[in-house]
Amino acid sequence: MATLELKSVKKAFGDTTVIQNMELAVEHGELVVFVGPSGCGKSTLLRMIAGLETLTAGEIHIDGQRIDHQPPSNRGIAMVFQSYALYPHKDVRGNLGFSLKHAKVDKSEIDKRVNIAADILGLQDLMGRKPRELSGGQRQRVAIGRAIVREPQVFLFDEPLSNLDAALRVHMRVEILKLHQRLKNTMVYVTHDQVEAMTLADRIVVFRDGSVEQVGTPLELYREPANRFVAGFIGSPAMNFLEAACQSEQVSLGATHLCKRVHADGDVTLGIRPEHLRVDERGQLRGEVQVFEHLGGEAFVHLLLEDGQQLVARLDGEHHMRPGDRCVLGVDPQKCHVFDLAGLRIGNV
Amino acid sequence: MRRVQDHLSSTVIHAVLLAWTLLAVFPLVLILINSFKTRKAIFGDALGLPIGKSLSLKGYESVMANSDFPMFFGNSLTVTCVSLFFILLFGAMAAHAVSEYEFKGNTFISLYLIVGIMVPIRLGTVALLDLIVGLGLTNTLTALILVYTAQGLPIAIFIFTEFLRSVSREIKDSARIDGLSEYRIFFEVVLPLVRPVIATVAVFSMIPIWNDLWFPLILSPGEETRTVTLGVQQFIGQYTVKWGSVLAALSVAIMPVLVMYIIFSRQLIRGITTGAVKG
Repeated sequence: MATLELKSVKKAFGDTTVIQNMELAVEHGELVVFVGPSGCGKSTLLRMIAGLETLTAGEIHIDGQRIDHQPPSNRGIAMVFQSYALYPHKDVRGNLGFSLKHAKVDKSEIDKRVNIAADILGLQDLMGRKPRELSGGQRQRVAIGRAIVREPQVFLFDEPLSNLDAALRVHMRVEILKLHQRLKNTMVYVTHDQVEAMTLADRIVVFRDGSVEQVGTPLELYREPANRFVAGFIGSPAMNFLEAACQSEQVSLGATHLCKRVHADGDVTLGIRPEHLRVDERGQLRGEVQVFEHLGGEAFVHLLLEDGQQLVARLDGEHHMRPGDRCVLGVDPQKCHVFDLAGLRIGNV
Repeated sequence: MRRVQDHLSSTVIHAVLLAWTLLAVFPLVLILINSFKTRKAIFGDALGLPIGKSLSLKGYESVMANSDFPMFFGNSLTVTCVSLFFILLFGAMAAHAVSEYEFKGNTFISLYLIVGIMVPIRLGTVALLDLIVGLGLTNTLTALILVYTAQGLPIAIFIFTEFLRSVSREIKDSARIDGLSEYRIFFEVVLPLVRPVIATVAVFSMIPIWNDLWFPLILSPGEETRTVTLGVQQFIGQYTVKWGSVLAALSVAIMPVLVMYIIFSRQLIRGITTGAVKG
């Protein structure tokens, strides 16, 4: 259990700044997820916390202790990598105990900790195997086990599930969540997958081009995205963005009036989540069905609106449409988001 | 139809490979069978097998008993093994340094280290001789070891660098988090991962050293420090050549290379097929 604090952390490679003035405080036992598109600096920041990259400026504190000048092994962290990074020539037991053996921990203590980790992760039957004899999910469990035996203050995960297939990813996601509930450690988790971020996080940090766009709980980010980028990143399928106009505090889409009491003037962007749209004969949005995707329990309809803009709606699985059908959708104005031209959210009505 | 075609192409491939093998093995077999023959038989019927009257172990007898051949053999073995050890050690370490760490002049140093591939070391013989004389190392095995290490390093570094670049960065990072020093990361994590390459480099470096005649002749021609290749020359006189002994000595000299090749061949094939030697 520990806190993690980043103070004015900066990173630049030559003239290219990859992390700009990062400020973040992670509480005891919190699971914070860094999310963002590839190349946004989230992995670099994690590697800086781990001590694998130097800081250009700023400080990192774990439990009040400044650690940014310490070597990785003295920081009280453990890291799980995307490619598992197991030692191929050591068996599972050797992999789990390697760091302790190196730190000259007592043999009985090593055995004890390795066995505890193996029990938690269900690795007892695999202890004698080499990494190449394990499946992807098993390898990742060993990698997590290797982090557990070090009894770190902070766990760092660098896209740990990206190499797994879809079904296994869902399974391992739940495993990690269970692990966090059991160990109650402070964890920092990097991913580019917003579903992982939403399901795992106590708080999400959304990155873009080396700076933080928004920090908040998953629901805060979903309900009150700070800007168009966050709104588009969180939620699947992504939020629809429609060009609209705002006059005398009223947002209208062509001739259709949608929301009232918006403090803006001129062109704005209207954000509507696909799941907030419903089929409604008296609805505000009319269009022609272009593609209809049926997933069984739910269906996605891709609509070409009368003014030429495109829209995706998530409907329940009882609807059936064909390309070319006319369709009218309604939306609760309360659930619409309005963004100014710079992308900042103007706020709900 | 397709199966017939596959069958045919595989037959052709094997025929070509077989022909190549015969071509390559023929001189070796010739040396081997003639080493067991009398001088008369060698010249009378070079392709005949050593049976009956033509069979003679005189060559081997003179090699083993009447010469310093075991000592030459020991010299060759010492020079080759020690040079090989240094080539592998320093080659892998240098390659690790240029492939793992970012520092100013990295590109320059890696180019400098491998440029020796293009310049034959024999061109520098006079300077080398000067140097060895200056160091007072003439007629020592140390002289040969130093020269061979320098000769083997460029290609070793080249092959190792290619491979070490492909070693996952995350494994090394993981070892750093586990608290290993950079040296232990190299010896305990990186080296075990590139075992096939070590075998490849070992075989490639060993053969030219074992077979070399030039440097032993120039740097260490003394009675005590001759290597096998130089030692064989004593059977080649100005007026007579003891062919039986020459061939017997050569046959024995092939053995260590062959043994080493058999030991390493499995790893070597893996090393080559994973793209170790590009051109």
